[in-house]
Amino acid sequence: MGKLTGKIALVTGGSEGIGFATAQEFIKEGAFVFITGRRKPTLDAAVAKLGTSALGIQADSAKLDDLDRLYAEIKQKKGKLDVLFVNAGGGEFAPLGQITEEHYDQTFAKNVKGLVFTVQKALPLLGKGGSIILNASIVATKGMPAFSVYSATKAAVRNFARGWTADLKGTGIRVNVVSPGPIDTPGLRGVTDGTDEGYKQFTDAMTASVPLGRVGQPEEIAKAVVYLASEDSSFVAGFDLVVDGGFAQI
Amino acid sequence: MGKLAGKIALITGGSEGIGFATAQEFISEGAFVFITGRRKEVLDAAVATLGPNASAVQSNAENLNDLDRLYAEIKTKKGKLDVLFVNAGIYSGAPLGQITEEHYDSIFGVNVKGLLFTVQKALPLMGKGGSIILNGSVVAVKGFPALSVYSATKAAVRNFARGWTADLKGTGIRVNVVSPGPIDTPGTRVLGNGTTAALDQFATQVPLGRYGQGNEIAKAALFLASDDSSFVAGFDLMVDGGIGQI
Ligand SMILES: NC(=O)c1ccc[n+]([C@@H]2O[C@H](COP(=O)([O-])OP(=O)(O)OC[C@H]3O[C@@H](n4cnc5c(N)ncnc54)[C@H](OP(=O)(O)O)[C@@H]3O)[C@@H](O)[C@H]2O)c1
Ligand SMILES: NC(=O)c1ccc[n+]([C@@H]2O[C@H](COP(=O)([O-])OP(=O)(O)OC[C@H]3O[C@@H](n4cnc5c(N)ncnc54)[C@H](OP(=O)(O)O)[C@@H]3O)[C@@H](O)[C@H]2O)c1
Repeated sequence: MGKLTGKIALVTGGSEGIGFATAQEFIKEGAFVFITGRRKPTLDAAVAKLGTSALGIQADSAKLDDLDRLYAEIKQKKGKLDVLFVNAGGGEFAPLGQITEEHYDQTFAKNVKGLVFTVQKALPLLGKGGSIILNASIVATKGMPAFSVYSATKAAVRNFARGWTADLKGTGIRVNVVSPGPIDTPGLRGVTDGTDEGYKQFTDAMTASVPLGRVGQPEEIAKAVVYLASEDSSFVAGFDLVVDGGFAQI
Repeated sequence: MGKLAGKIALITGGSEGIGFATAQEFISEGAFVFITGRRKEVLDAAVATLGPNASAVQSNAENLNDLDRLYAEIKTKKGKLDVLFVNAGIYSGAPLGQITEEHYDSIFGVNVKGLLFTVQKALPLMGKGGSIILNGSVVAVKGFPALSVYSATKAAVRNFARGWTADLKGTGIRVNVVSPGPIDTPGTRVLGNGTTAALDQFATQVPLGRYGQGNEIAKAALFLASDDSSFVAGFDLMVDGGIGQI
């Protein structure tokens, strides 16, 4: 029997990258999984690969109306939610001196404000035994050039797990964070110039400081998320599980 | 198939408490497990419960000769080691002002010096894919009355995982820490004079509103021992009900 048999899960930003790998892993462990994303063709392709235990709902996490529609649909289809992986997010480079108001607003809207309301609006569907996992990043504790705004959003995310663990005391709902190091996803490629050469240069530079000497694969984050989603982590709360090949540890 | 099928594991201090619960979990995931402890009768009872995939080696983690004998025996019997859970550890209280040299030496002797040589002497038996898990504690990052010496040993343990992750770069061996919060074990019941009094006191400070059980640490140790955590290194996985988090 799977670790998530009979569970209903939502993975925001589940059509690609870490979110997609996690949806696959959740389904393997017996869950039914809703995934979201903004681009319809990508979402449809993902659901086609995931099979009959997945359903795609086109929604932008930065739009509160979309979130209302999303939870209305989950309520109508399944009546409850057991596992919420708030994964949608991302960042772009902007060194201090070149940070525009638009860069700030967009990054905080998707990574922070969208995340707050994704969680808050889910609460009526969650109950005892529920598990909320927030996707942060090692940049929350590590400085990297041109990534300060993104880093600040992820530090905010890590801290929400502390406050919400206090707020949810007595409900039986746990909140934890997973913080990936560099993971091979379309998103990571997206912050480079897009060429294979450029991506290799970027990851080579980064992995020089990763003790395990490589970038991670999305499945390696997915396994950590399964741990946090399942009863295996029943005594883990308000915690930040860092899966980074040791990058930010030593 | 189990997550540790075909793996050889050693759990120091595996006859009771967290170590014993972890031995049970590792075996149910397909591993063969060596356990250690100082008291023979407790070890024998543990192996009787664990069954044919467990073997006990009576040894004291503080005693370097015992460690040599332990690894010689593992080498003879199985020829290798895949998973090392350095769990043997002791704790007792002494507020500042009442810390004796004996208190200091005994706790540092097992929790720090014993742990260091348990790891170093295991290296010749370990290789690519190996996983070392050190048992730390949430006290490494949080102050509690009368626990300063114990806390300091656990902070040292957490930091070994950083240094050794750097030292072991390129070997394919990962080192991580698991840090329990208050867990119901024979050891913590001794602190409460045979009751859960000491645990109950901690439980009021735990966001999840309770103390934990040994198997909840065992599941975390399993995650770190298996390939599920293949990109986790030098990390401290805290299983503390949130007491050290918020
Ligand atoms: N990859 C890494 O190295 C790394 C490291 C640390 C942390 N992370 C974090 O992990 C998460 C996922 O990263 P990833 O690398 O897997 O990203 P990715 O490859 O870019 O995939 C992102 C997924 O989220 C969806 N998405 C993006 N914005 C959304 C929004 N506003 N509303 C709904 N869906 C949205 C995307 O689909 P649409 O574009 O169609 O919406 C896509 O399915 C992010 O929170 C990121 O910050 C990643
Ligand atoms: N329980 C908690 O709340 C808690 C919280 C945080 C961290 N921890 C850590 O978790 C580990 C285990 O704690 P526990 O509560 O499970 O302890 P426990 O109930 O006291 O069990 C300790 C086990 O280790 C063995 N042991 C003790 N000293 C040893 C030595 N010098 N050499 C070899 N074996 C030894 C004991 O057997 P013998 O006595 O026969 O040797 C017994 O099998 C320790 O490192 C502790 O610091 C525990």
